[in-house]
This record gives sequence, structure tokens and C-alpha cells, in this order.
Amino acid sequence: MTFLALTPVQTALLAILTASTIIALYFLKLRHRRVVISSSILWRRVLDEQQSHSLWETLRRLLSIVIAVTIALLIALALARPEAQSLTGKNERIVIVLDTSPTMSTQTSDGRTRWQHAVDDARDLLNSGGPTTEFRVIDTAGATASAFTTDRNEVRKLIREMSPKTADPQFPKVNGQDAQVYFVSDGVTIHNTPSFVRRISVFEAANNVGITAFEIRSIPSTPLGYEAYLEVQNFGQAAEAGIILSGTGGQRINKTVRLGTGDSYRDVFDLSRFAGGGIRATVQAKDDALPLDDVAFAYLPVKRKTRTLLVTKGNNPLETLLKLDNYVDLSVSDPASYRDSADIDAYIFDRFAPAAAPSHPALIIGAPSAPWLRPTTGEVEKPEITTWSDDHPVMQFVSVHDLSIERAWVIDASGLTVIAASKQTPLIVVSEKPKWVMLTFDLASSDFPFHVGFPVFIENVLAWFSREQLALRRSPGIIDVPLPNAQIRTIDGKIIPSDQQLGKTVFQANDPGLYSATQGDQRIHVAVNLANPLFSDVNRSVFKTDKAAAEQHYWLRRELWFYMLVAALALISIEWFTYHRRITL
Amino acid sequence: MSTANANVTLFDDEFLKKLEYLNIISKRLFAGQLRAERRTRKRGTGLEFADYRQYVAGDDFRHLDWKAYLRLNRLILKLFEEEEDLPIYFFVDSSQSMNYGQPTKLDYARRVAAALCYIGLANLDRVNVISFADGVKAELPPQRGKGRIFKIFRFLTDMAPSGETDARASFKTYCTETRRRGLAVVISDFFDGHGFATALDILRHFRHDIFVVHIASHEEIDPGLRGELLLVDAESNATREITITPSLLTAYKAEYLKYCEAVESYCGKYQLGYVRTTTDFPFEELVLKVFRQGRFLK
Repeated sequence: MTFLALTPVQTALLAILTASTIIALYFLKLRHRRVVISSSILWRRVLDEQQSHSLWETLRRLLSIVIAVTIALLIALALARPEAQSLTGKNERIVIVLDTSPTMSTQTSDGRTRWQHAVDDARDLLNSGGPTTEFRVIDTAGATASAFTTDRNEVRKLIREMSPKTADPQFPKVNGQDAQVYFVSDGVTIHNTPSFVRRISVFEAANNVGITAFEIRSIPSTPLGYEAYLEVQNFGQAAEAGIILSGTGGQRINKTVRLGTGDSYRDVFDLSRFAGGGIRATVQAKDDALPLDDVAFAYLPVKRKTRTLLVTKGNNPLETLLKLDNYVDLSVSDPASYRDSADIDAYIFDRFAPAAAPSHPALIIGAPSAPWLRPTTGEVEKPEITTWSDDHPVMQFVSVHDLSIERAWVIDASGLTVIAASKQTPLIVVSEKPKWVMLTFDLASSDFPFHVGFPVFIENVLAWFSREQLALRRSPGIIDVPLPNAQIRTIDGKIIPSDQQLGKTVFQANDPGLYSATQGDQRIHVAVNLANPLFSDVNRSVFKTDKAAAEQHYWLRRELWFYMLVAALALISIEWFTYHRRITL
Repeated sequence: MSTANANVTLFDDEFLKKLEYLNIISKRLFAGQLRAERRTRKRGTGLEFADYRQYVAGDDFRHLDWKAYLRLNRLILKLFEEEEDLPIYFFVDSSQSMNYGQPTKLDYARRVAAALCYIGLANLDRVNVISFADGVKAELPPQRGKGRIFKIFRFLTDMAPSGETDARASFKTYCTETRRRGLAVVISDFFDGHGFATALDILRHFRHDIFVVHIASHEEIDPGLRGELLLVDAESNATREITITPSLLTAYKAEYLKYCEAVESYCGKYQLGYVRTTTDFPFEELVLKVFRQGRFLK
């Protein structure tokens, strides 16, 4: 036993002093109340008879002294804050890492979730520690990481506030040198843990049919034509799965498929009958344990004609192309007749640029000089496209690697987004604000109009200018939208809190859903879906049960001084009771 | 307590009325008996025929049975029973232990003694009152006739509690003097360190009829004592430190009962009259109880 508040010598002195004081006080004569009685004959007889139990009398006296000294010593030694490792455990540190992967939301056979079992195990660990044991709790989503503390209530509160997160789970960096590390997990998403980590499994096999992929994509061959791609996979026992696609206009597609263990079902659904707006895909299966992946969202852009003004001295291929597009309401004007109009959604300037920037987005072909455009600094003969970007919406489904260009102008593209370039000059540049796209070469001096990608390029440009875009695809968790100062709303119109980070709007979305980010007249839809086979495969556990680690148990939960004071109080009560019944003196 | 006050308190008009009432009750109880008619073994000049015997010279020839002489030609003398008054000895314990309780046992003893004395005087008996403790402290010479009751009151009033109890020595001292046999009424709490039995044995030895009035105080029967005490013996002033526990109190009560039963058992064994009372018991009812025992008045 060690003492935290006093040295052993001080403690011994305190004990000796206390015991001797109590014994000395005990032997001080009490002043007895004087009572005159008629005769002591009978009292003498009774007392003589009682004294035959002198052994008990001696013991009684001894017992009284022992109780009094014990009470005093308990109180005195409690001040020294004693510590007994066998009772209260040593001063150890325990790190509890709780797996907050989405798979922890999987329901178990008892109707609870793996997460709830993990919380119970974490609480057991808390209870198993001694009063001086320091605890720290960390999750695998990087959202919670407490400091070491002996305040279990604080740790319990933290655990209570934790929940499974859809963020990419990662085992946190913990030091196994000065602490015991326990990892409470189902072992599905995190397979590798350091060797010093004691694992506690909450895994239990479960049935799950989940959506592993869902997206809406445009059909390149059909302007403003979209289809939905859906992938459903069964990670449990063979089951019948009901698939439903529903749109905001009441359109609905139902399908039932039978999936064996590990089977997946992939299908593409034509959405031509669907009105624009949110599309919801759900999958229903019996005894499904993970609801998180049973639903997925996407956004179908609303179809609307783009009022386009083509300003050209004459460009038949381009004009014909635009006239053939059902979703383009084309007007053609020569440069001299050009007037900026509010009734136009997009401009196409062919080898021409107005003196003032147009009020709406524009596609500028060639490199005409205008104050709002970059000036040309020269010409390049037969530039070869060396770099291009597939990521930009303008370049979706467009291949330019075999584009042949006779001549291109050289411009300074600083501050612009270059989506195709040769070694000498940028060939396609994009300005985000104001919105315009520029080809630094003339269509007539290239074979671009004859490429299969050209109509797609024009369609992409017009779509990027003014049409609604497909939704951004994100996984649940922290979502970032490339639109600063945007207001985030759910599909029901409810505003949710957001933050600004590096020119992006960031918000938290823990559940699948369709969100919209709006800033002025700009709007971006975000489809948040789990849609991840790693999370849906809830039976891919690698952990073995390690329950023994949780069975560590100490008798006492508080420091010894607390129990000593309780014992002293109990002894005082007993002494009071026995004294008033003259059992003790 | 001053003598005058005690006199007023103990033997006031109310008390005298009660005595008169007791006297009437006693007469009703013993109706038909003559006053002072105590048959004795002595032959004398009484009215009741007792026996015959041969006449010898010197006999009172007035008692010769002349009819028998005519029939038998022998002088035969008629004998009659001698009738004499009965000496009643009231031994009142006036030791310090009797000065205990509320009212004190001695006060109660005084009242009982006074009542019985009054009845005795009314029956023309010779009443002796003896105050004793560790010896005979005082004695009142034989009194006879109701008119002497106030003298007895005075004697009883003047009786002061003191000394340890030694009834054996007291009785022995008193009885070894030339005394006539009679009725010995012992009024005491019987807290005698030398034992009550040896004391009563003395009285039995001198062939007295014995009547025992055992007085106890309620505080003795059920002492309301608690805690750490220094008990002081009223007689010996001996002290003893004691812790009164419920079990000890129970043991004491059992011991007290045992002691009382021992006194009663002794009296029963030797056919002595015995009444036990507490000081809160009305003394007139006690006197009636004594009457019912049938030993005090014959």
C-alpha cells in the first residue's frame, strides 16, 4: 500500500498519534452521575453474578477500544490517500478506440446495433479500471479524440455523443508504450491494427442487401438524355430484393430480383419519362441489417431549351449543328448587328468579340481582340495537343487527342482554367467568372467540327453555361461543394448549417440524401450516397473475439480514502447503536 | 422534615377519620369477641370454665364444686381461664434505607404502624412501638386505651431515619429483656445485610406471633436508572460505579422479585403473617389486608 498525500513516515506517525490519543482518551475517567439508592444489597448480588462473565466484560471493553481506535485510524489514514494496487489497480492508462465505421450501424440479432454493443463494451472497460486509471477515447473517423482523464463521467459523456460516421475509417495514431490500447470494432473496415492493440469484437454475421452504386449520367448520343445506373449487391444469405426508382414527378420504376449470397445486380434505367429533379433509389430485402445503404439519391437535370445567339460572319457547320439540337433555340446574327440582350441565355462568338463583355456566358471561337479578353501575343503553327482535362464538365465525353489544328493564337492564360493546351499555347481556356469558354483556334483551321466529340463539346459548353448540372456525388460525412458562401438545403428545403473552407462550402451529411447548394443564381446539387461495397459488406470481419481483455476487473472504483470514510461512518453508526444498548462501553 | 410538619402531614384529620373507619371495620369483622379477652394458658379468675383439679390447702374455696363434693365426697376445685390483654410489639424499621422513595418508606411505615396501633389500642391491647435500625433506637412503653394514640403519633413522628439495618441484633436486644410473649409486627423493607431470616428466627425463638409488613418503594421495584452511574448505598454510603444496561436492569428486577419471594417463602414456611406493599398503595387498604390475614386481631 502506498500513500499519495503523506510519506510513509508521516503516515506512521499520524497513525501512532491517533491511536495513542484515542486510547488515552478512552481511559480517562468519566464522571459518573451520583445516584443514592436505598440499599446496594441487591445490586451487589446482580453485579457479582454479572461479573462471572468477566471475560465478556473484558472483551466488551476491548471491543469498544478497538472500534474507537479503528474509527480514528480510518479517518486519519484516509487523509493520507492510501492506494492498494490489488484493490484499486495501478496508475495505468487505457486508450479506448471505438470503431465508428458505417458498418457499426449494422443491427444484430438482439435488435440492437454493433455500435450499441461497442458502447457497452467501452463502458465495461471504463468500469474495469481502478480509481486512478486514466482513460482516453478515440474514434476512427477522426472526429473524437479526448485527452487522458480519470473523470469517467466525462469519458462516458464523450462516448454517448459518439456515433458511427461515414467518413473513411482509419485506425488513429496511438502510443502503445505508456497505455493499454483497446479497439472495439466489428473488424469490417479496419483490418490492420498495431500489434499492441487488444481487440474487442462486436461482430455478428448479418444479412444485408445494399446499393453499391447509383448515378445518373447523360447519354452522349442524346442531347439532354439521361439514364440511371444502379448496382445492388447481396452480402448476406440469398434474398429477394425489391428495387424502386422514384422521381419527384411521381414517376416510378419497380423491379424485383433474386440475389444469391455475394450476387450483384447491375442495371441501367431509362429516365426519359422522368421529370427533372431528385431521383431516389431504394432496395428492400427481408432481415436487412444495414439501412444506411438501402437508399441512394441522384439529381436529374430539368430539361429546358437554351436561347442561343450565334454571332458569326458565316459558319454553316456550326449553325447546322445548333439548329439540329432540339434543346437549342438558335438566333443568328452578324457581328455588326450584335446587341447584348437579356433574352439570350448563351452567346457563341465566331471569330468576333464585342467591345464589352456580354451579360451572359459566351463561347468565343478564335482569339478576337477585345478589352475583356486576353490579348494575343502571336501565332503558333500546327500546335499539338499535349494536355487536356477530362474532369471539367465542358470536356465530358470529348476526346481531343487526335485534333488537328493548322494555326492557333498565343494568349496569356494566367487566371484562366486551361482544359486543353499544346506546348506553346493554351487551346481551350475557361473563365469561371465571368463565364466564358475560348478556343484559341479557328474552327475553319482545324478538323474539330468533324470530330464526333464536337457536338458533345458544344452541348457540354451550353449545358455548363446555363443548364442544370448532374449532381455532385459524395459519400456521407463532411461534404465540400465548390461554391463559396452557398446556402445548403436538403431535398425538403430545410437549411442546414455550413462552413466556408478555402473557397468551398462545407457541411456535414451523415445520412444519404440529396442536397442543394445555392449562391445567387448558381446552384449545385449534391447526391450523398453510401454506395460503397466496402461499407455494405458487413460480414467481411477479420477480428477474432478477444473478450478476455474486457474481463479485467478491480474491486473498487474510487480511491481507498472514500471507502475508509464510509467504513468509519458505518463503524460510528454501529458504535452509536451498541453504546446506547450498553453492548459497548 | 420537621416534627411539626410531619405530624400535620402524616397524622392529620383525614388520617384520623380513616383510623376511625378502620376501627369500625375491625369491629364488624371481629363482632362477638370481647375486648381484651385473650385466652391464655394461665388459669385464673376469668368467667370461662377451664378444668377441675384436686383442692389443696390455700385454694380459694369459693371455686369448690359443692355438687361434686356431695356426689363424690371429694373436694374438687373448678378452674377458670385467666383472661389478660395481649402485648403487641410494633417493630418499625427506621434505618436509612427506609428514607427512600416518594413518599418515603418510613412515612408509609409510620402510617401503617399508627393505624394498627390505633386498632390495638381500641381493642384494649398493650401496644409497644420499637424503632430499630442497627439496634433498638427507641421504644415506647406499653400503651393501652385509645386515648394513648397521640402519644404513639408523637413517637412515630419523632422517629428519624438513620443507621444501617441489623434487625437480628435489634430483636435480640429487645427480646432478651424480660418481655411477655405477644404479637410482633415487623414493618420493614428487609434490606438487611445480616439477613432477614436470622432476625425473624429470634422472634420465633421467643415464641412471638409474628406479622411481617414488607414495604417496598416503586423506585426500588422499577428503578428508572440509565447510563454510567455511581450508586451510593444510603445506609453504608458504599459506592459502586456501574453501567446500567437493559439486561442489567432486567437482572436487578428479577433479583428483587426473588428477594421478596424469599421473604414471603420464609413467612409461609413458618406460618407467619405476611403482607407486601408498595408506598403508593393506600395504607388503609393495606390495613384491611392485614385484617383479612386474620392474624392481627383474634
